[in-house]
Formats: sequence, C-alpha cells, structure tokens
Amino acid sequence: MKPHLKKLMAATCAALFVLAATAAETVKVGVLHSLSGTMAISETSLKDVLLFTFDEVNKAGGVKVSGKSYLIEPVVVDPASNWPLFAEKAKQLLEQDKVAVVFGCWTSVSRKSVLPVFEKDNGLLFYPVQYEGEELSKNIFYTAEAVNQQAIPAVDYMLADGKKKFYLLGSDYVYPRTTNKILKKYLQAKGIPDSDIEEIYTPFGHTDYQTIVAAIKKFAAGGKATVISTLNGDTNVPFFKEFANAGLTSENCPVVSFSISEDEFRGLPAKDLVGHLGCWTYFMSIKSPENTKFVKDFQTWLKEPKVTGAEYKVSGIDAKGRVTCSPMNLSRMGVYLWKQAVEQAGTFEVDKVRSALVGQKFKGPAGEVTMQDNHHLVNNVFIGETLATGQFKVVKQLGAVPGEPFSDKFLPKVTASN
Amino acid sequence: MANRSLAILGLFAEFLACASEHRTNLVTAILAEDPAQQLEIIRKLADTSDPIVPQVLAAWRGGTIYIFETNDAKVPFYLDAQLDSDGKAKGIRVIDGEPLFEGDKPMLFLASDLNSADTSSKLRKGIKTTLDLFAIGNPDPKIRRDAVIKLGQEQNPENISYFESRLQREKTGELRKTLVEAIATTQIASEDAAIRFAAIERLREMRSINALSFLEQLHKDAKAAPAKFGEPTVDATRQAIKEIEAYIARGNLVGTAFRGLSLAAVLLVAALGLAITFGLMGVINMAHGELIMVGAYTAYVVQNIFKDAFGAAGTGFDSYFIAALACSFVSAGLVGLVLERGIIRFLYRRPLESLLATWGVSLVLQQVFRHTFGAANVQVSSPSWLSGSFVLQDVLFAYNRIFVIGFAVFIVLLTYWLLTRTPLGLQIRAVMQNRSMASALGVRTDRVNMITFAFGSGLAGMAGACLSQIGNVGPSLGQNYIVDCFMVVVLGGVGNLVGTVSASFGIGVTDQILQPWLGAVLGKITVLAAIILFLQWRPAGLFVTRTRGLEG
Repeated sequence: MKPHLKKLMAATCAALFVLAATAAETVKVGVLHSLSGTMAISETSLKDVLLFTFDEVNKAGGVKVSGKSYLIEPVVVDPASNWPLFAEKAKQLLEQDKVAVVFGCWTSVSRKSVLPVFEKDNGLLFYPVQYEGEELSKNIFYTAEAVNQQAIPAVDYMLADGKKKFYLLGSDYVYPRTTNKILKKYLQAKGIPDSDIEEIYTPFGHTDYQTIVAAIKKFAAGGKATVISTLNGDTNVPFFKEFANAGLTSENCPVVSFSISEDEFRGLPAKDLVGHLGCWTYFMSIKSPENTKFVKDFQTWLKEPKVTGAEYKVSGIDAKGRVTCSPMNLSRMGVYLWKQAVEQAGTFEVDKVRSALVGQKFKGPAGEVTMQDNHHLVNNVFIGETLATGQFKVVKQLGAVPGEPFSDKFLPKVTASN
Repeated sequence: MANRSLAILGLFAEFLACASEHRTNLVTAILAEDPAQQLEIIRKLADTSDPIVPQVLAAWRGGTIYIFETNDAKVPFYLDAQLDSDGKAKGIRVIDGEPLFEGDKPMLFLASDLNSADTSSKLRKGIKTTLDLFAIGNPDPKIRRDAVIKLGQEQNPENISYFESRLQREKTGELRKTLVEAIATTQIASEDAAIRFAAIERLREMRSINALSFLEQLHKDAKAAPAKFGEPTVDATRQAIKEIEAYIARGNLVGTAFRGLSLAAVLLVAALGLAITFGLMGVINMAHGELIMVGAYTAYVVQNIFKDAFGAAGTGFDSYFIAALACSFVSAGLVGLVLERGIIRFLYRRPLESLLATWGVSLVLQQVFRHTFGAANVQVSSPSWLSGSFVLQDVLFAYNRIFVIGFAVFIVLLTYWLLTRTPLGLQIRAVMQNRSMASALGVRTDRVNMITFAFGSGLAGMAGACLSQIGNVGPSLGQNYIVDCFMVVVLGGVGNLVGTVSASFGIGVTDQILQPWLGAVLGKITVLAAIILFLQWRPAGLFVTRTRGLEG
C-alpha cells in the first residue's frame, strides 16, 4: 500500500510541476561552452555557474517583461573545443532554437569564429573571459577584462614596486601575442629599454622549461626583474616546478599570471605558486555581503543542481572542491545585466535590449559595474597574491577602471600623461 | 646566592622593559598616519634583536595584523595560532602579548571577518627591507643568502654595517662570499673613487654574475661622464664585464650539456617501454602514452595514501615516491598484461589492426581516467628530496633532473641485463628473431610475448611516475609524450636498445643547443625536420638490426 501511495504522490507532484512549468512563460537562453575536448576543463565551470544563475533568476520570479514573468529555459550545446563547430552551434542556437541571448566562448579564436554568425542573425552574445581586445562587435557584450583592466594595471603595479626588467612569457597563440605586443609598447613608453624586455613563446603542451628558466634566472640575476606570464592552462605546471627548483621565488623574481584564476589552481602545484601574483576584477576571497552570498549559494546549489521551472535537466556536475573565479563571476553578472536591460526595454528584441544594456549598472560580488557604450564594463580591478590554499589575497585595489578594447586609445594617452 | 638570583631578576626586568619598548614602537608604527614616520620607525626596528619584531612585521606585511577599535583607542592585534572548533581564535595584543578581553572572557575572532591593518606597497617594501636585515641572522643559510643578495642589490650604504657585522660571525664559506659580494655591489655606487675601484676589482675576481647588470650600468654612466668617474673606472668595469661574461659563457656550455642530458633522459625513460613493445615485439602500440598515464595516476594515488597516513610532509610522506615507482610498474604492467591477453595476441601478424586496436584502447583509457579522476589535472607534489637544486660554479643542477638521469641509466642497465644475462632474455630475443623456430625449439612463445609486453608496459608505468615529478598529470598526459616516444624509437632504429639510447641523447642535446637561439617553437620544428631528413637518408634509423627474416 505504502509504495503505492508514494508513487501516487510523486505523480501528483510531477503533474503539478508540469502544470506550473507550462503555466509560466519561458524564454530560451543559449549556453555555448565546450563540455568536451581540451577547453572543457575551464569552460565546464562557466556552464555550471550559468545554470546556477538561471536557477537564481527563476527562483526570484524570472525575467519580468511588461507585467509578465518569463522563466529562463537554458539551451546547452557542446561545441567540443572545435572552433568551426562553435559557429555551427551558434547558428543552431540562433536560427533553430531562436534563443533570446547566448552566453559563451572562452578562447578568442572561438569568439572570432562565432562573430560573423551573431552579426548576420543579429544575435546577442555575452563574452566573459579576459582577452586581448582590438575587437568590437555590436552584437557582442564583453563583460571580460580588457587589456587595460588586467595586463596594464599589473604592469603598473610591478613598475611601482621598483621592477625594471620584464620577461614576457606566453603560450604561442593570439591572446599572449597581442597582449605582449601592447605591453611592450606600454613598457617602452614608460622608459624601459628594449634590452630589459624579453619576449618568449612556447608551444601548447610544452613540458621542457629548463632553457627558459635558466634564461630567466640569468635575467633576474641583477634583481628588479619580473615575469609577466600568459602561459596557458597546464603548461604552468612544468614551468612553475622548474621555476621553483631553480631557486627562483616570488621574492627574487615574482611572476604575474593572467591565465591562472582560482579555478585553474585546482590542478596546479600550490606550494610552487605561493606569493606569485594575479590580476583580475574578482577574487573568491573578496569580502562583501554579495560575494559571501554568491559563494555560499553556488556551493549549496552544486550539491543539488537544478534550474527551477525549466525542463532542462542538469547533470554531470562535480561538486567536489569547487571554487568561484573571475570568468565565473563575469558570466553571472552578464546574465543579470541582460535581465535588467530586458526588463527596462520591456522586450526581448535584440536591438532594443542592446540600447538598454548601455549604462546598465549591477552591484556584483566585487563592487558595482557599469556597461559602457563600447560594450565593455567599468569594473573594479584587484591585484592578488597566491596563497598555498589556492586563493588570492588582495594586495592592491585599483578601483573602477573603464574597459577599453582598442590599445591605440589607451596607449598614446598614457605616453602623453607621462 | 640571593644576590645572584636578584641579578638575574634584574636582567629579566631589563629584558622585559626592552621588549615592551619594541612592542610600543611596533604599535606606534602600525597606527601612525604619516607613511614617512612609519618607514622611519620600521627602519630603526632593524637594530633590535627581539624576535617579536620580525614576527609582527611579517604578519603586518602579510595582512594578519588587525585593529580593534574602541571608542577612545585603536588596539592592533594578531590572532592566536590555536583555533577553537569554530575556527575562531583569541586576539593577541601587539602591545603586551596578552589576549583581548571583554569583561573577563577572552574575545574570539574569525580571520575572515576581520579587516587587516593597511599597508601600501612602499610600506611593504620598507617592512621587507627590515625583515631582510633580520633575515641576515636567520638560522637557515638559504634565507640568509637570499636576504643578503637582495639587500646588496639595493646599493644602500647603510646596509654595509649589517653585512660587516654578520661577516665577522658567518662561518659558511658560500655565505661569506655572498656577503663580500653584497658589500662590493653596494660599494661600486660609492662616491669615493678608491673604494669604488677596489669594489670593481673584487667583483671581477669573484666573477660575480649578480653584479653584472650593476657593473654595466656603472660602465655606461662612467663612459657618459668620464670627468666624474675617471678613466680607470671605465677600464676596470670594461675588464670586469668582459671576464664575467666569459665566465657566464663557460657556465652556459656546461648548463646546456646538463639540460640536454636531462631532456635526453626524459625522452629515454618515456620511450624505453615502447622500444620493447614496438621495437622488439613489433606491436605499433598507440596506447603506450596511456600506459605512462596509468603510472602517473598510480603515483598520484600512492601519494594520497601516504598523505593520509603520514601527513603532507616529513620522511614518511617523502618516501612515497619509492613506493609509487614500484606500484606504477606493477599497475601499468598489469594493464599491459590484460591488453596483451585481451587484444594484442590476436593481432601479432596484423600490424595495421593492432595500430587501430591500441589506438582505440588509448581513447578508452583516457575516458576512464577522465571519469574517475575528473577532467582537470591532478596535483602530484614532489617529495622534498626531489625539490630544489644545487649550484656549482653558478651552473644550476636541479635534483629532480639528476634523479631522472640516474633513473634512466638504471632502467637501461636493468633492461640490458634482463635481455642479455637471463634465460628469459634469451627466450625473448629468440622469439623476436624467429618466432616459429623458437617455438619449434620448445620456447613457450605465447608466454614470452605476454611477459615481454607486460615488462614494456611496466617500464612505461615507471616512466609515468617519474614524469609526474617534472610535468602535468592529467588524462591527456599520454598524448603529450607519444609522438616523442615514437620519434626516439624510429630514429634509433627499431629493435635496438643502443639505438634508442643514442637517439634520445641526440634529440635531447640538439634541442637544448638550438632552443636558446631559435626559441622553443622553432627549435622543435628544426629538430623534427632534421629527423625527417635523416630518415630519408637512413630509413632504418641510426642502428639497423640485422635479422634473418625475409623482409629484412
């Protein structure tokens, strides 16, 4: 009898649930992150945080457009770290699923690959990962850190710290090369001679850093040297192991890494990274009521992941040892900025949402951000020192910095004021 | 008797008074509004020998000094090391080392709720200098050395007295040298020509690499203003720079040789297993990389077991790596055994199918590990005896690299001994040369195949444990090494151990010689192109194994 009763109740609940789900209107929102292949390590976390945010929004009543509530229905696709597939999946999201907005992409090459699709179909994309700039599409909103919100403040910090020699080390692809090109110009404008700037690239998956570390050791022999690293993901492991073994430390030659956030830290040898620096617009360790709530709610959500009111079933989430990081925070804030803009515009129509987005403000975990008309955020920049726990300790707050994608706009200005 | 104890008491009281004075100074420094005043107090604190000073300064710099504000006063404090069950700790006042009380109960704080006392980057640097001055007397010679080098680079004449007083007490030869170097580096900025000249001469004699950039700067300045510095300074710096640079060039040569050798050892360790499964047995084993991965993950698992049993440091934990090597040999060997019994033995005469099958197995293994351990890389921390390096004549020798070289020699000798000095080796060689003849003579070829493949896989597993000390451990670990492994075996000549050894040596050294000139990317391309050209010229590789088979 009893099992019967249970079944009956479950069935009633399910029926009610379906009823509730069908009763409220839904709006389709696309998630375009690689869930397999090489980029899956980083991008899966962004998918997770997006689903979490959709759940947050839906629980609070969804997106309210002219008196009606729309619950977010996620459409999650897997472009599998394959750049052409990104464009195909974007096309599918826009033309077949007719999503109102897409949150996605990590690498610049994937963004460049979907850009023509979004422009042709007049879609809306939110891009959350620090990047090299020199791009502006009317269909993309870049919540990401631009070069002048990450690389330039970090270099300024090192200059103020009395560093005179800069070793620019990166993986061999577009982001490090463009960033280092800008940094080199910037350093030259700051009076650092060419002989004190070294620019070196290594291939993806490079494991032998002996020669480079020996060169850095020599470079740093006179003191006042620093390494600016745009090394990608797991090449950091052999690099930092070699670096530490050579007797180099954050004391005699600090490394500033632009691609290591709390999330990447999970696979790195913590003790070899202690004291080295990071520069982001958010750290998990930031103390604010908004951040405490974000971290706590996210970690609770991971244990029982679901998107309230949506048909989408969340699966395959690893709840162990999860952290939050800047790209995750920027993904989440993108959702809220979009929601506010839609509610202000009173429609999901892309053109109207776009104009409503400019000037939109949101008080996030690391302080208030504002969307500018160049589609980049005014955001608070922090410099942090890595701790053995895989967290950053904020050592400097740079306050609100308006993001500027084009280096020629901020480079000459700096030279002039110098 | 009474007199003596009174005297001791007096001394103690004096010590207390003195200590409290330092504490008062610390509190004044922390609470001062004017950064210049803060810096001045901090600098003066360097003259004390009270251990509380560096302790509080380090905490202040690290952001673990907090300020307790009451209506009429600000009280700086730090947290007691002892945490209660909620992670809260007592607040210890800087002024007297006593806990903060509320009524008669000590107040408890949670570190994450507190805001630390402000520091600017200039102030942090000032604190650092004072801490460095303390560190000159640190019991750990490595910390002493780093502090002296750093202070020397400041070229602040005020530091010389600290260096000299330490020099009188310092017994370690290397550190005495570092101190002399630091004094000389500071003195080359001196206004006094005689002192400057003597310092340049000393640095030249010491062939000081650390001082090179300072000498270069001085040389440039002196050339720009010969009237101020005088002709002798220009000549002396030029000569010193020349000699130091020649010394660096010599060091580079040794360094490159060592790095080449160590890269060669890495390649050899990774490829030796393949030299057996592919070289000797002729199985195009695309799953070789994943067998390496199995070994690396075994090291990770063993590490975690040891961490649970002994904690994350100490001799107990440090010995995990020895166990890991043995375990990874066994685990990868077992995987190899299953692979051979399950798939490969049906495909001995069909190399193309074995290529496809093993490739499939490699994909399956990758996914299995991705599912079990997660897509992200895992952390394998090095035991303390494999971390760090020693410096000889300014050339760096990292312990983990030396270990890999030694390990490579060991497994090559082991394999050589097994193949040439044991009955099993004789059987292996017989089966590889002529399977049917060996079988006709009563060798159980099936069993020999199985053991050989398992042994080759076991070697790959040990390689994995070894490589976990220098690189990543993740599901795609095998992919990173498989190309290099085949490159080594093919270049060396299939079926030939000597070939494998010389090929890895050749590739390693060539790569390290080219890298400083061409960079990592172009260096690798050049090596690959050279190998292709070489194989055009000698398709069978460096060493050709002559067999009596018809295809030979």
